[in-house]
Amino acid sequence: MNKFKTFLLGIYDVYLREFKLVVHDLGIIIFFAFLPLAYPVIYSLIYNPELVKEVPFVVVDHDRTSGSRELVRTLDACDEAWLLGYASDLNEARKAMDSHDVYAILEIPEGFSRDVENGEVGKTVLFTDMSLLLRYRGFLVATTGVMQALGAEVQTRAIDRVAPLAETIAVDNIMPINNVSLGDPQSGFASFIMIGVLILILQQSLLLAMGMAGGARHEKASVVGYNPHNNARYVPATMIGQSLCYLSIIVLPGIWLIHYVPMIFEFPMQGVLWQELLFLVPFLIAVLGMGFVIQALVTEREAIFLVWVVTTLFFLFLCGMIWPRYALPPFWKAVSDAIPVSWAIEGFIRMNSNGAQLWQVSHEYIMLWINAAGWGIAGYVMQRWVMLPSVIKLIKKGKSQQQVSIAEKN
Amino acid sequence: MSNKGFKAIWVRGWLQIARRPLLWIAMLVFPLALMLLISTVLENGLPTKVPAVVIDKDGTALSREVTQTLGGMQMVDLKGTVNSYTDARQMLQEGKVYGFFLIPENFEADLMAGRGPALSFYTNMSYFVPGSMLYRTFASTAIYTKAGTVLGVAQSVGVNPDEAEGLVQPVSISVRGIGNPTLNYGVYIGNSFIPGVLQLMILMVTIFTLGEEVKKHTSRRLLQMADGSLLRALVAKLLPQTIIWTVLAFFMLSWLYRYMHYPMNGDWFWMCLSELMYVLACQSLAIFIYGIVPNMRFSLSIAALLGILSFSLSGYSFPPERMYPALQPFCWIFPARYNFLIYADIALGGRHVYYSRVWFAAYCVFYFLPFIVAPLIKKHYRKPVYTP
Repeated sequence: MNKFKTFLLGIYDVYLREFKLVVHDLGIIIFFAFLPLAYPVIYSLIYNPELVKEVPFVVVDHDRTSGSRELVRTLDACDEAWLLGYASDLNEARKAMDSHDVYAILEIPEGFSRDVENGEVGKTVLFTDMSLLLRYRGFLVATTGVMQALGAEVQTRAIDRVAPLAETIAVDNIMPINNVSLGDPQSGFASFIMIGVLILILQQSLLLAMGMAGGARHEKASVVGYNPHNNARYVPATMIGQSLCYLSIIVLPGIWLIHYVPMIFEFPMQGVLWQELLFLVPFLIAVLGMGFVIQALVTEREAIFLVWVVTTLFFLFLCGMIWPRYALPPFWKAVSDAIPVSWAIEGFIRMNSNGAQLWQVSHEYIMLWINAAGWGIAGYVMQRWVMLPSVIKLIKKGKSQQQVSIAEKN
Repeated sequence: MSNKGFKAIWVRGWLQIARRPLLWIAMLVFPLALMLLISTVLENGLPTKVPAVVIDKDGTALSREVTQTLGGMQMVDLKGTVNSYTDARQMLQEGKVYGFFLIPENFEADLMAGRGPALSFYTNMSYFVPGSMLYRTFASTAIYTKAGTVLGVAQSVGVNPDEAEGLVQPVSISVRGIGNPTLNYGVYIGNSFIPGVLQLMILMVTIFTLGEEVKKHTSRRLLQMADGSLLRALVAKLLPQTIIWTVLAFFMLSWLYRYMHYPMNGDWFWMCLSELMYVLACQSLAIFIYGIVPNMRFSLSIAALLGILSFSLSGYSFPPERMYPALQPFCWIFPARYNFLIYADIALGGRHVYYSRVWFAAYCVFYFLPFIVAPLIKKHYRKPVYTP
């Protein structure tokens, strides 16, 4: 009973002291406050225009008929494309592209209109710059639309011509094709990427803050300028006390991230907030465990920058946002499975964007709890057998130095 | 001006790297690991076999034919058919499929009677890449089905089969990507993310090693060794890093264009020159940041912020000209932006270096930055104060 009381008191003491330490450490506060508050806003502002529109193109028209001009007009009328002008030949067009004035060249061959009127296929080519996938995709969508629109017109005319009796058949409506984008109805870029990025920011701000705090614990008090050690009698009590402290700091930025940022920037929000919060509980526990592991490995305050900032890119690849997780090679799939953020992003996107209920992401939820258990144990092991001995060594060293200096004075 | 100090600092610079496993991780392990990750993950170029499902409410020979056509597509992994929209939507919410294709009730009968039944397809655009792949497959299946129908109708009203082809697709625009005709996704990721990581690591490692002189109280000794010349001290100290980064950047080039066979349509010389100038520009930018904010932790924070933001602001995925006007100037403060533009011009576009002249000139602007802050750094090195 007594032990239990010490344990609880230890948690309480550690919690209070840790709070004081963190609040007075500007470096850590930046990670806890600035990162989750400002980063998502900056990112959302960058991607908020969502769609790539009005990309300039140039036309090389060898046909010069009303039919070819109609084709150019229709393409120009598309949201995605914008006609800069006509070029006399491919060389001139190529020069415009090389000089970064246009990103595509539409070449219409001689006899285009004649072919169409004769019931043959009027073939044209659109050469596009491939430096950005989004520009290419815009042209692809635009040309598909143009082919459908002009096609339907010509079809009606042609059928009228060859079989006047069939005028009752409107070919355009013979079989309409509908396409619906789910989750991100506009197919906008911000609505797609930001939802996952928000979760990634949540993880990284916790881990960077914990890593910096951990690095400070390995350093001599004389270097750091203050004593960041904060230990209870039992290692788990220390860990729980610190975790509770970090959690109570991150809870407000966390809600800002998953609720208010999507609200402000009008991202998809199909989820139920309390379910999302419940979903993120094991994720946060797993991240805290991961943080305790990192603390043992980072031996200087500033080293966390060198070893952890860049991992964001690795997580971005492994979490399924850039490359779907089902298509990962087995080795990387296994790595991805052991990272809490990949499950959290997968589940959160489906809850937030596709409107899945908590029970529909049960697989991800269970995997998050397994991750929480695994990282929690790993965190304990590292704290107990790496961090604690290192701290004790530092304290002993500090004491002996003090004794030496006292002895010298005497 | 004696060379002796230069040599001693240069040796010291090498030793500082050799003695710090932390720097090996930052300079070698991370960039190489990212190359390994990208090359193994994006080996196929595109994620094939996107899971999808068909809602067949019709259940006729025609609807089964459509399903079969869809199942035969290379890019889709058809998980069978379901009976209702609700079932399909639930599968999508559970992450089992990334989209579905809806064949409505009485599809065949309505089609024959000319009542114009609609084919619909749904793609989960919360997952951009598989969603887009599925969109393409679904769209071509729908158009293919429609074409077959139009042909049938046209023949039934007496159009001769030779003329029918023009009826199905009277106008065709074939889109041809210059430089990357197979749409290899790795070309985008490899050519942008790896230089981006290089910039991030150069910024942070440079600032870290500059700040450490203060933290470990060695800055005064460094100035002494250089005979009081900060310029000599910095050049001698950072030159070993320049060599490592440049070797790494050249390795990256050969890895991208020789090993991964990504398009390299231009002149190797200009690409190599671009990488060398890129490394120097990143180092100059790092010195500038450290000079403005000599607090090591704070300047590292700024470097991390800029380094990570540059993946978005350098326009790797979203073009800067479509960003808000207020943000656009920030796209041009990163060496990575110019590196990306030079790659797009020379390696991908196969253009003459004349068209990239502005980007190369922009690198040179960065080289002036250290001179602006040199007095500040010198002052700080003389009276080092470490703030945690």
